[in-house]
Amino acid sequence: MHAALTVLAILFGWLFTVATAWALGTLLLRKLSLSFYRWEERLFAFVIGAALLSAIVFELCVAQLAWKPLFLVLGLAIIFYALRSGAHHLRGDEFPPLPLRWRWVFLVVFSAFTILYLMNALEPESSPDGMSYHLGVVAKYQRTHGFPRITTDIYASLSEGIEMLFLWAFEYGRHSAAALVHFAFFIVLIFLILSYARRIGRPGVGVAAAIFTYASPVVGLDGTIAYIDVGITAVLFALFYLLQIWDQDRNPQLLIPIGILAGFSYAVKYTAFIAVPYALCFIAWKSWRARKPILRPLLVVSMLALVFILPWMVKSWIEVANPFSPFANRIFPNPYVHISFEDTYRQYMRVYALTSYWQIPWQVTVRGDLTTGLIGPLFLLTPIALLALRFREGRQLLLAGLVFGLPYATNVGTRFLIPAIPFISLSLALALSGLQWLLLVLVAAHAISCWPNVVQRYCSPAAWRLVKVSPKAALRIQPQDAYLKGNLGYDLAQMMEHFVPADAKVYAFTQPGTAYTSRQVLVGYEGALNELLQDILWTPMFRDFQPTRILTFHFSSRELRKVRVVQSATVPEVQWSVSELRVFASGRELPRVSEWRLTAHPNPWDVQLAFDNSAVTRWRSWQPPEPGMYLEIDFHRNQALDSVVVESSGDSSATKIKLDGLAGDGKWTALAAAPIESLRPNRMSLRQAATAELKARGVRYLLITDDNIGANDFRSYAKLWGLKTVAEQGTARLYYIE
Amino acid sequence: MPVFGAVIIVLLTRISLAILPLLLCSCDRLPETYPPPQQRQPQAFTPDPAAMMVEMNDPDAAQHIVKDIYEPMSSSWRWTAKQPTVRVLVYAADNVKLSVDFAIWDDGFKQTGPLELSFFVNGHLLDKVKYATPGYKHFEKTVPAGWLSSDTESTISIDVDKLYVSPQDGVKFGIILTRVGFLR
Repeated sequence: MHAALTVLAILFGWLFTVATAWALGTLLLRKLSLSFYRWEERLFAFVIGAALLSAIVFELCVAQLAWKPLFLVLGLAIIFYALRSGAHHLRGDEFPPLPLRWRWVFLVVFSAFTILYLMNALEPESSPDGMSYHLGVVAKYQRTHGFPRITTDIYASLSEGIEMLFLWAFEYGRHSAAALVHFAFFIVLIFLILSYARRIGRPGVGVAAAIFTYASPVVGLDGTIAYIDVGITAVLFALFYLLQIWDQDRNPQLLIPIGILAGFSYAVKYTAFIAVPYALCFIAWKSWRARKPILRPLLVVSMLALVFILPWMVKSWIEVANPFSPFANRIFPNPYVHISFEDTYRQYMRVYALTSYWQIPWQVTVRGDLTTGLIGPLFLLTPIALLALRFREGRQLLLAGLVFGLPYATNVGTRFLIPAIPFISLSLALALSGLQWLLLVLVAAHAISCWPNVVQRYCSPAAWRLVKVSPKAALRIQPQDAYLKGNLGYDLAQMMEHFVPADAKVYAFTQPGTAYTSRQVLVGYEGALNELLQDILWTPMFRDFQPTRILTFHFSSRELRKVRVVQSATVPEVQWSVSELRVFASGRELPRVSEWRLTAHPNPWDVQLAFDNSAVTRWRSWQPPEPGMYLEIDFHRNQALDSVVVESSGDSSATKIKLDGLAGDGKWTALAAAPIESLRPNRMSLRQAATAELKARGVRYLLITDDNIGANDFRSYAKLWGLKTVAEQGTARLYYIE
Repeated sequence: MPVFGAVIIVLLTRISLAILPLLLCSCDRLPETYPPPQQRQPQAFTPDPAAMMVEMNDPDAAQHIVKDIYEPMSSSWRWTAKQPTVRVLVYAADNVKLSVDFAIWDDGFKQTGPLELSFFVNGHLLDKVKYATPGYKHFEKTVPAGWLSSDTESTISIDVDKLYVSPQDGVKFGIILTRVGFLR
């Protein structure tokens, strides 16, 4: 009974979201009196309605009104109004029927994969990103009924257009309902591909391309979990499709859904911002070629796109002082994301575990371990798609595929190819459209080669793919907890749920399944504060992090208003750090008084860490050192000094510093060009000092797994850290800071 | 163009709706200069002295054992072999003593006679002691500060010169170890 109710709730959450989106979209399309083929209208209605519903949920979250009853009333009102307006009455012409052979091919392959995919989407969500951040943030919004200000999670600063729809579904059916919403985008994408090909009079091409995309292993897995890549692909393809129709009809009303979808692309995923210049350039070029006005259509599209883009930018700007967070931190410096994080992240995403870019074709099509997933061996034939250039539609498809594939250069994960897959699929099928028998063979070969049991015969065992589905888990005959037990992310989440008080903060090096816990977790790399805590915890274990380098500047005694320790070297790959900065007069350290004003460039927000008398905290540049960076003390009056001591660490030994002073005459002068360096080995364990710093920042729990750096140290010397083991499960330990 | 006007209105409305509530709850502007913070007192951190001792009945003792210490037999002590070795981290490098609690088994003593034990810290011989009687023993001696580091583990090993050989199965035994580690 409980299982049946759970499944019903999931299905309700899913269908209610889809129905509300579809109703909104249909209302708009009917209002604009746009005429499409019958199937087209249904499909466009969902995608455009999804954009509108996402915007509505955003506004409700801003107003802290994301309440289940309100969603229910609003959704029912929208659906009711749409039905009253006759939205359910079908309009538009039907496509000519599919040729019998292609109809059967489509029905058989589509049905087989749909059963597989539906089961996977219904299963309890266990995907890495789904259970950590796509639904992790959704669960937070659901608990707080809106946007709480989150400054310690980079993922919460990304645009979350589809996550807004997940939230609508999550209220009723939790995680699986959200995954099913993504699956709905997947289904719509497949029918959009088919419809587009039917519109251009090539139904066989449509069936082949739809199956090429649908069966592709990485698309199949991604589209049936709480990710967003297939969702954004559906939005981009719908945008392309509408632009093609606009090119034919030149109906100015079409510019409205075009503008909405261009903007929604950014709202779903930053990398899809490329849709905006694509749409604008397309319209400008076509209008110019047809000697039609350019400015007005461009204004309509760009303004509407901004309607969907700006709110996300404003949200990030207000919450984390950077409209493009977690990127562009050099342009918008802020205390929430380090530049070093961004640099490392970008660098990693450009290479993953590849040793050469020549590995990419084989990796993304066949092996799938180094780039996380595979699109299937069929796509080794992608160069043949260039033969489609002989058709006008082929040129358009290849251009769009190229444009939407451009972000792949910034992230070589196979998932980032998904937006280009429908275009490659259609181009490939179009290129071979003269050889129907060959297309049929390719469809059959691709479908067979992409079935999970067959994929495992050639892909890497470590490839990210759909391994198997569990109908028992999908239908909750096997309870969610039993199914997810053993999944590290879920187990960590449950450990916190059971042993950590509701209002306590947990620090973890490993990302737990935050979608399954209500506890606040600070994960190592996910924010500036988190990275600072990581640095504090690592300092006792790594001698190179400890303040063992003593850099002393001596100069003739003089009255100074300010002193600055200035960086004078450019050193890539390292950071400049200062553990303590002390000033002396006649051999005595000056006490740090409250009148002093301290600052630093860059990262002024952490300057106090160089003045707190703690050996485990340090100010860091969090970017490679450059000449002109500095730490400064303003004494607020003239102060007699004769030496300055900078306590630094071994990991910044390649940097070079000098000392400047500001005298009463208001002029900066060089006090000393270089310090005298000496070494002062650390004689005391810093472990307890480190955990005390976490405690001072409100963090009382540590979640450590065996693969974390220092896991053995925490385990063996828990007493030295001042830790008590609260729970232990598998490879994970939960510690309480006493 | 009515469409264009409608778009502008929607745009402005949406932006205003997004910004206003957020502005109301996030008006703080981050400062760029700060006063000195509260000063930390490093001396305040004095961990439990037991943190540097390895108790043979501690469930985590295996984490510290390097070699030549047998599994416990439901007791608070363990048999050793020729050169029992453990690794321990000290929380301070100065004023630290090596401390070992162990026993020489009466029956074994009858076979081996007096035992000479050599105590090493990080490979340095700290002391060599001859034990002429069986029974409970305690060893304690200050370790030179230069031998220790507070951020890397130190190795303690005890070399037993003669081993008791069990007549039943030929297994060799050294001493009965209860705890070993550092005190401060």
